[in-house]
Amino acid sequence: MYVELKNINKSFGNFKASDNVSFSIEKGKLIGLLGPSGSGKTTILRMIAGLETPDSGEIIIDGKVVNDIPASKRGIGFVFQNYALFRYMTVYENIAFGLRVRKDDKKSIDKRVKELISLVGLDGMDKRYPSQLSGGQRQRVAFARALAPNPQLLLLDEPFAAIDAKVRQELRSWLKDMITKLGVTSIFVTHDQDEAIEVADELIITNNGRIEQTGTPLEIYQNPETAFTASFFGQTSIIDDYTQFKTFGRIENTGKAIVRPEFVKITKKGEVQKYRSSAVEGVVLKTLFRGSNIELSVRVGDTVLNARRALDEPHVKVGETVDVFLYRLFVTSGDKAYIVENESLRENSIVI
Amino acid sequence: MEKNEGSKIVKWILIGISVLFAFLFLILPLYTVITDALRSGWETYKKAVTDEYAIKAATLTVEATVIAVLINTIFGLFAAWTVTKFRFRGKKLLTTMIDIPVTVSPIIAGLIFVLTFGRQSPIYPYLQAWDIKIVFAVPGIILATVFVTFPFISRELIPVLEAQGTDEEEAAALMGANVFTIFRRVTFPHIKWAFLYGVVLCAARAMGEFGAVSVLSGHLRGKTNTLPLHVEILFNEFKYVPAFAVSSILVMMAIVILIIRSVVEYRGRRAE
Amino acid sequence: MKKAKSKRVIPGFGLSLGVTLSILSIIVLIPLASLVVYTAQMDFKGVIETITRPRVLASFKVSFLTAFIASLINSVMGIILAWVLVKYKFPGKRILDGMIELPFALPTAVAGISLTALTADTGLIGAAFAKIGIKIAYTRIGITVALIFIGIPFVVRAVQPVLEKLDSSYEEAAGILGASRARIFRKIILPEILPAALTGFGLAFGRCIGEYGSVVFIAGNMPYKTEITPLIIMSELQEYDYASATAIALVMLVFAFAILFAVNLVQARNSRIINGGK
Repeated sequence: MYVELKNINKSFGNFKASDNVSFSIEKGKLIGLLGPSGSGKTTILRMIAGLETPDSGEIIIDGKVVNDIPASKRGIGFVFQNYALFRYMTVYENIAFGLRVRKDDKKSIDKRVKELISLVGLDGMDKRYPSQLSGGQRQRVAFARALAPNPQLLLLDEPFAAIDAKVRQELRSWLKDMITKLGVTSIFVTHDQDEAIEVADELIITNNGRIEQTGTPLEIYQNPETAFTASFFGQTSIIDDYTQFKTFGRIENTGKAIVRPEFVKITKKGEVQKYRSSAVEGVVLKTLFRGSNIELSVRVGDTVLNARRALDEPHVKVGETVDVFLYRLFVTSGDKAYIVENESLRENSIVI
Repeated sequence: MEKNEGSKIVKWILIGISVLFAFLFLILPLYTVITDALRSGWETYKKAVTDEYAIKAATLTVEATVIAVLINTIFGLFAAWTVTKFRFRGKKLLTTMIDIPVTVSPIIAGLIFVLTFGRQSPIYPYLQAWDIKIVFAVPGIILATVFVTFPFISRELIPVLEAQGTDEEEAAALMGANVFTIFRRVTFPHIKWAFLYGVVLCAARAMGEFGAVSVLSGHLRGKTNTLPLHVEILFNEFKYVPAFAVSSILVMMAIVILIIRSVVEYRGRRAE
Repeated sequence: MKKAKSKRVIPGFGLSLGVTLSILSIIVLIPLASLVVYTAQMDFKGVIETITRPRVLASFKVSFLTAFIASLINSVMGIILAWVLVKYKFPGKRILDGMIELPFALPTAVAGISLTALTADTGLIGAAFAKIGIKIAYTRIGITVALIFIGIPFVVRAVQPVLEKLDSSYEEAAGILGASRARIFRKIILPEILPAALTGFGLAFGRCIGEYGSVVFIAGNMPYKTEITPLIIMSELQEYDYASATAIALVMLVFAFAILFAVNLVQARNSRIINGGK
């Protein structure tokens, strides 16, 4: 394990930012710390960097406990949320700063800076000031500046938050490629699930100062272990009483259920359907054209479900009565979540 | 919106009032100083401003101003850095205390130094034993000047640094830069103009301080008189022309300061 | 409680706090403390006796009244000047803007003798007013004039930035809705600049109460009539009556801190309204 956190606690006044946080990260991985704002993910990142001090617990980097090692000696590169570029220094000076502080010789600084400038694709911009760059270019400078002293660990705080939606997409894949190419262990913080799933090798889900789950994006998406993770991805709907849907038997000690749109099959009356006997009736409340599909809100009893239909399927109208079938749902029991398949699927032993 | 006649009339009425006010309260006093100074001709003027006591007073004024600017610069830079770059307990109290000197009447400023170092003070015997004179001597004048201009520089710096945040400093610190490198290379470029502006304000006030200095000076001609005190003495002796002649020097310094201030402010705005 | 030594990332905290506190102590705290120490030694009855002497009471009245009227006039003039400087374009605007700061830059003693010469019966303005039987110099009017000079930058500089930030779309929206100019000013603009104007008023008032240099020359310093409180303190000091001087100074200090407190309250409320929450 390259980076390890053991039982980290941190409070700001009455606010518990980290509540017994433990996890570990392998060398060379690109890790996403994902959680809603205020969930403590930035605090974790800042503690690893040494920008904050944990109240208790150990932070281990490369086998050494670094709690008492100052931030500047931990061998990390940090990309700040707003990049924190030195506004009164040129691109070149920004990238060279860390090397100059280290008192490298002039020639090797020059070589390294030029190398980085062309690596991040900013050739010819070395004399510009940060105010003369676009958001995306600034991020590239921040990235190059963090990498200049050859850190063993790269930390990025919401690296895409300050960038236009259009450029963001492009930068995400750029950053992923770059980090993979360099092989530097990296941790980035984000509140954007799409971004996390797309960029990270592994995710650490935070909520209320605790770690909810860790794993690859696919694992977490498919097998959420906690109620929070189950409801965090996608436009989930909450079902108070899941037994109102046929073929879901009550399970002891369980509460509400969580359903993702892709778990819901909406069928028009009269359309061919496989599980008619297991479907319940619902009324369409809203339809919304989403480009690649049509988003529906359907009311079943007291429950409102989000669902989707493909564009090539016959359109449903608001007020129309439709059949609703659930393939599966996440049943919660306290903080935990379990996946429950529809029994009629099991009978036919068909997995969808 | 339509530009109707009414709004034009209002505009020129308001401009008229403003200009009249500025003329009566700001320009006429300056004009009076200059004309009264030159009323008895150029020769008298020259004699008044090259008078031995006038020159000695000017020297002391410059001395006190330079020291006040120096001390307040050191204080202002450190205080602004402390208050804006760190979280700590009692920060609010600290910023409030820094501002105390401007809320205190100059006379009271003088009074507290008299109480601290004067004859009835518990430390007075020690001062005497060491032969240190503060009250009715130059050190007192300098202390009083420093006191009344105390927050002038920090006050200009703190809002600028506050707005700038701490990200850049943190980034620099993460790369291992020491405090002086961070300050010189990262922080100072942000506050350059605000700092100059503060220095100008501080110098202006230091040069013109009257009340506090008056309490501590003892009015010893040629020894503990600053230019404003010299003006007072001349005026009270009904030597109006010399009084205004000496004043005219201070007026010119004030105008120079105003011009520097305008330039600094203009450059500062453009730099943003 | 565990003592996790909190490390600060940005270096230099100890050094800069140390330097800051040292200089603050030498220049401000120790002298102020000596005032407190000295006060503690005085007997309460003596203090009350001193500050209720008729001459002292009269000086409070003179100081308070002239400072109040001057600050009131400055509030109105300050708003007009700030308005003119922000909203209109006209030749000489930058000079006018620069002139506003003159009272900060001009030594108060110079302002004092100049205003005295100007408003004395023989002066340019004084002569004109003398004809209609109004004396300015050596009366409370003269004191007020000097204090207007001293206080004007405070209000202008407090109101100006607020007016600059005031989005003109408010005014335009109100104009489109058919509001008259007077109504727009009263209902839209005045509420926006009032806290700033109050702040400026408070700062000017605080400064004027304690002002000495520009006032002593023009006041004439007649006991009970034109004698301001700082002058009384000054004369007590010249008679080495430190106890009386301190007692009177305490009253002024309490008053100055009260004004400062009020200004801070207004500013805190104001920034809450502008920035929302916090």
